[in-house]
Amino acid sequence: MNAKTRINNLKSYVKKPYNIILLVLLVVLAYLTLLPLVTIFMDTFTVHASEVRMVKGSVKGDLTLYHWKKMFASGVTSQKTFYEPFANTMLVAFLSCLLAIIIGGFFAWVVTRTNIKYKGFISTVFVFPYIMPSWTLAMAWLNFFRNSRIGGAPGIFTVLTGIPTPDWFAYGMFPIIMVQGMHYAPFAYILIGGILRNMDANLEEAAQLLHASRFRIMMKITLPIVRPALLSTFLLVFSSTMSAFAVPAFLGTPVRFNVLTTQMYRTLNGMNPGYGYIMALVMIIIGVSILMLNQWVTGRRKAYTTITGKSSNISLVNLRRMRNPLSVLLIIILLLVAILPLVSFAVESFILAPGDYSLSNFTTEFWIGEGRPDIANSEPGILRNKSIYLGLWNSLRLSVLVSLIAGTVGILAGYSIAKRRGSHLATAVNNLTFFPYLMPSMAFGAIYLSMFAVRRGFIPALYGSFALLVIVGAVKYLPFASRSGINAMLQLSGEIEEAGTILGISWWKRMIRIIIPIQKTTFISGYLLPFISCMRELSLFILLVSPSTRILTTLLFQYNEKGWNQYANAINLLIVVIVVGFNLLVNKVTGASIDKGIGGNA
Amino acid sequence: MPEIVLKHITKRFGKFVAVDDLNMVIDDRAFVTLLGPSGCGKTTTLRMIAGLETPTEGEITINGKVVYSSEEGIDIPSSKRDVGFLFQNYALWPHMTVYKNISFGLENLKWSKTDIDEKVKELLRMLKIEEFAGRYPAELSGGQQQRVAIARTLATGPKVLFMDEPLSNLDAKLRMEMRTELKRLHRETDSTFVYVTHDQLEAMTLSTKVCLMKNGLLQQYDPPLEVYRRPANTFVADFVGSPNINLVPCAGSHTDDGCVDLRCEGGLSLRFKPSSAFDFSDGANFILGLRPEHIEIGRADAMVEGQILSSLPSGMETIVIAGLSGLHLNSVMFGDLDFPVGSAIGIGFGSGMFNLFDATTTENLCQGKLLAASGI
Repeated sequence: MNAKTRINNLKSYVKKPYNIILLVLLVVLAYLTLLPLVTIFMDTFTVHASEVRMVKGSVKGDLTLYHWKKMFASGVTSQKTFYEPFANTMLVAFLSCLLAIIIGGFFAWVVTRTNIKYKGFISTVFVFPYIMPSWTLAMAWLNFFRNSRIGGAPGIFTVLTGIPTPDWFAYGMFPIIMVQGMHYAPFAYILIGGILRNMDANLEEAAQLLHASRFRIMMKITLPIVRPALLSTFLLVFSSTMSAFAVPAFLGTPVRFNVLTTQMYRTLNGMNPGYGYIMALVMIIIGVSILMLNQWVTGRRKAYTTITGKSSNISLVNLRRMRNPLSVLLIIILLLVAILPLVSFAVESFILAPGDYSLSNFTTEFWIGEGRPDIANSEPGILRNKSIYLGLWNSLRLSVLVSLIAGTVGILAGYSIAKRRGSHLATAVNNLTFFPYLMPSMAFGAIYLSMFAVRRGFIPALYGSFALLVIVGAVKYLPFASRSGINAMLQLSGEIEEAGTILGISWWKRMIRIIIPIQKTTFISGYLLPFISCMRELSLFILLVSPSTRILTTLLFQYNEKGWNQYANAINLLIVVIVVGFNLLVNKVTGASIDKGIGGNA
Repeated sequence: MPEIVLKHITKRFGKFVAVDDLNMVIDDRAFVTLLGPSGCGKTTTLRMIAGLETPTEGEITINGKVVYSSEEGIDIPSSKRDVGFLFQNYALWPHMTVYKNISFGLENLKWSKTDIDEKVKELLRMLKIEEFAGRYPAELSGGQQQRVAIARTLATGPKVLFMDEPLSNLDAKLRMEMRTELKRLHRETDSTFVYVTHDQLEAMTLSTKVCLMKNGLLQQYDPPLEVYRRPANTFVADFVGSPNINLVPCAGSHTDDGCVDLRCEGGLSLRFKPSSAFDFSDGANFILGLRPEHIEIGRADAMVEGQILSSLPSGMETIVIAGLSGLHLNSVMFGDLDFPVGSAIGIGFGSGMFNLFDATTTENLCQGKLLAASGI
C-alpha cells in the first residue's frame, strides 16, 4: 500500500461520523473511568494531609505501605476497620439477596403461573419499593420500630402497643436485611417474572405428556432451565445489596453496625482517606468479579436460547379455595410495604413532639413554619426553607444536566457501536460505557474524589464543584442510556439509514429526521432513566458534595444524622413524590413500565 | 372401533369462540389433518384432545374411555391420556442431551436401565440420529432437532400422536423429506396421527382424512381427494388446491333437456349438465368452480377465445392466467410449454366434474359436466 492510498484510507475513515464519535468516546471514557482507577490505586499508597501525623516521619504525598498494613495485617485495628465490616457486608448482602429472591420469586410465580386475583394491581404496586429511594423503607422502619436508644420518642409500634422494641429488632443486621430484602424484592420479581413469562410452556407440557409428575417437572425441567437465569438474578441483586449505603447508614449507625460502605464514608470523610480508598478498590474488584461471573454464567454451552421463546398458552395453576385468601393476603402485604411507609412519612412530618400521635400534637410547623428557637435551631419548615430550595434546585439542575449528557452520549454511542459492531474499537467503547455499571456507587464516588481532589494537567481541582457532580452522574448513568441506545440501533436495520444516504441526506439530517424519530421512545427512556436515578441517588454524591452543591438526598441524610426527624420525613416525602411522579410520567410517555410483561395487563 | 370421538366440543376464550360445537370421529390408525387458516381453532382442538387445554363444553372419548366431559365433570390430565405430542417449536429440553431427552419419558414409566437403553438406541437408529446422542439440542440443526422431538414422542409408544405444525420451521427441501418420513412412521408405528397444519399441500399428501375448519366451525371432514373433488362450499374449494380454483359467478336458467344455462361474468355462456337433479328458479345466482387443470389452453377444439395475460413456465408445468373480457382464469398446462403474453388463444373446458355452488349460502349444490361454451 503506498502512502497516497494510506492517506486516502485515513481520510475516508475520519469522514464517517461514527468513527469520530468512537474515537472521542474512547479517549474521554478512558480518561473518566480507567485513569481514576490508577489514581485511586496510587492513593492507597500515598500519605494524605490528614495522615501525616499517623505515618511517622512522612510528609504529605510520600509513598507508604501504611494503609495496606493497617488495613489487612494489624490485628485488632484490621479486625475493626476492615475484616468485621467486610464480613458484615457479605453476610448482609447474601441474606438480603436471598430474602429478595424468595419474596420476589414467590410473587413472580404467583402472578405469572396461578389464577390469583388483582394481578394488575399487585404487579404495579409491588415495584413501588424499588422505584422509591432505598432508604425509604429504612426510615419507615425507624418510624415504626425505633426505641429510646437513639434518644427521643419511640416509634409508632411501641406507642400503640406499649411494647418496647429490642435493639436487635430496631437496629443493625436484622432490620437492614429485612429492609434491603424488601427493597430489592421487586428487582428479583422483575427478573424472575421475565424468566417465567418467557420460558416456553411447551417444555413443561412435553414433560407432562411423557407421564412426569408435577414435582418431577419442577425438579427436572423448570428449575434446571431457569437455573442460569436465577443465578444471574442472584448475582445482580447481590452486587446491588453489597454496595448499598443508605440503609446500613440509617439502621446500622445507632448500634455501630458497620459495613464497607459506611466504613468507607467514615474514613474518607475523616482522618484516614487511605483506608477508604482501599475499601473502594476492594469493592470495585468484588463488583467487577461478580458481574464477570454473571457473564460467564449466562454465556455457557447450556445457556439456553429457548428461554426467550414465546410461550403462548401457559396453563395457570388453579388455587381453588386458596384463591381469595391468598389474593387478600398479598394485597395486605403490599399495602404494608408500599403504601404504609408513605403514610408514616406524612404523619411523622406533621407531629410536633415525636411519639405523641394525638390530634392536638399535629402541626404544620415542619412544612410551612417560620422556625422556632426551641426546635432544631430555628430551622424553618421545608416549604419556606432556603437550603431546601437550594437542594431542590441543585437536585433538579443536576438530574436534568446528567440526563441530557448521559442520554445524548448514550444515543451517539449506541449508534456508533451498532454501526461498527464487531470491530475492536466498538467493542472497546462498548465495554467502557458499561464499565461504570460494574462499580459500586460509593466506590465510584471515591475514585472521583481521588481523581479530582487535586489539579491534574489542564483540569483544575474540581472537588466541591457542581461540575464534578454532573460528570460523575453522567458517567455513572451512561450504561443505562447506552444500553437503550444500542438496543434501539440494533432493532433498526442499517438499510433504513442507507436509504437516506443514497438520497444524499446529510448525517445530521439522517439522525434527526430518520433515526431518532423512529426509535424515539427507546431514546426517551435513555434520557429519563438517568434522570430518575439521579434524583434519588445518595451514595454516589455523598462524598463529593460541598455546602453550596448540596442536593435533596444529601440534605435528607444530614437532617437525619442531626436527628431532625420531622424535617427528614418531610424531605423524604418530597423526593418520593418527585421520583414516583416522574416514573409515572415515563410510563405514560414511553408506554413501558418496569413491571411490564409480568402481569400488568392481566 | 373408533379411536377418538369428539361430541359438541366448544371452547371459548372470554367472548371469543375458538371452537364451535365440533363433532368428529377419528378412526383407529387414521392420519387426520386439521386444516385451516391461522386462528381457525385447529391448534386449540388438538390441545383439547391432548388435555393441554380444557374445553368449555362437550365430551371427548379416547379409546372408549371418556377423558373429558363437561357434564359429568371428568377431566383426565394429559399425563394419563397416553398420547404423544409433537410441538411446533419441538420443545426439546435445552439442558438435556439428545439421549436424555428421549429417555426421560421412559424413566417416568420406571423402565429398567437396560430396557431404556435398548429402546433409545432403537429410536436413534430409526430416526437416523445415532451420532447425535451426546449433543445438546442447541448444537443440532432444525431438521435434526425435529427428529429428536419425534423420537422423544415415540419413545413411550403412545397409541395416538398429535402434531402441531411440526414441519413449519423447516426449509422446503427438508419438509419434503420429513413428509415421506412421517408417512413411513405412520405405517411402521401403527398408531393414530392427528396433525395440524395450514398448508393444504401437506394435508392433501399426508392424511387419510382432512378436517377443514374456519372460525372454529367444521367445514368438511372427508378423505383428501374427496375434499378436492367435491368441496362442501366455496371456502373449501378455494382453500384446497394450488393454483387456486376459479370461482366464476354466474346466473342460471333451465333448459328443455334438464341442463342449466349459465351466463357468467366476462360474457361466457356455459351449458351445465348436473349429475343429479336440483331445484332452482330461473335467474338464480350461482358460483361455478373451475379447477385450473380443467381449463385447457391452445387446444384445437377450443370452445371460446381468450388472451394470455401471464405465463409462468416451471418446466414440468406452466401456470397461465387467461383473460376472457374481464374474467381472469387460472390454468395449469402440463409439459414444458410457454405462451407469448398478449396473444389470443383458444380455451376449452375439459371433461372433468365441475361443482356448482349457491352464490348466497356458498354451499355445494351439485356436480356436473360442461357440455358447451361460447364467448361474446
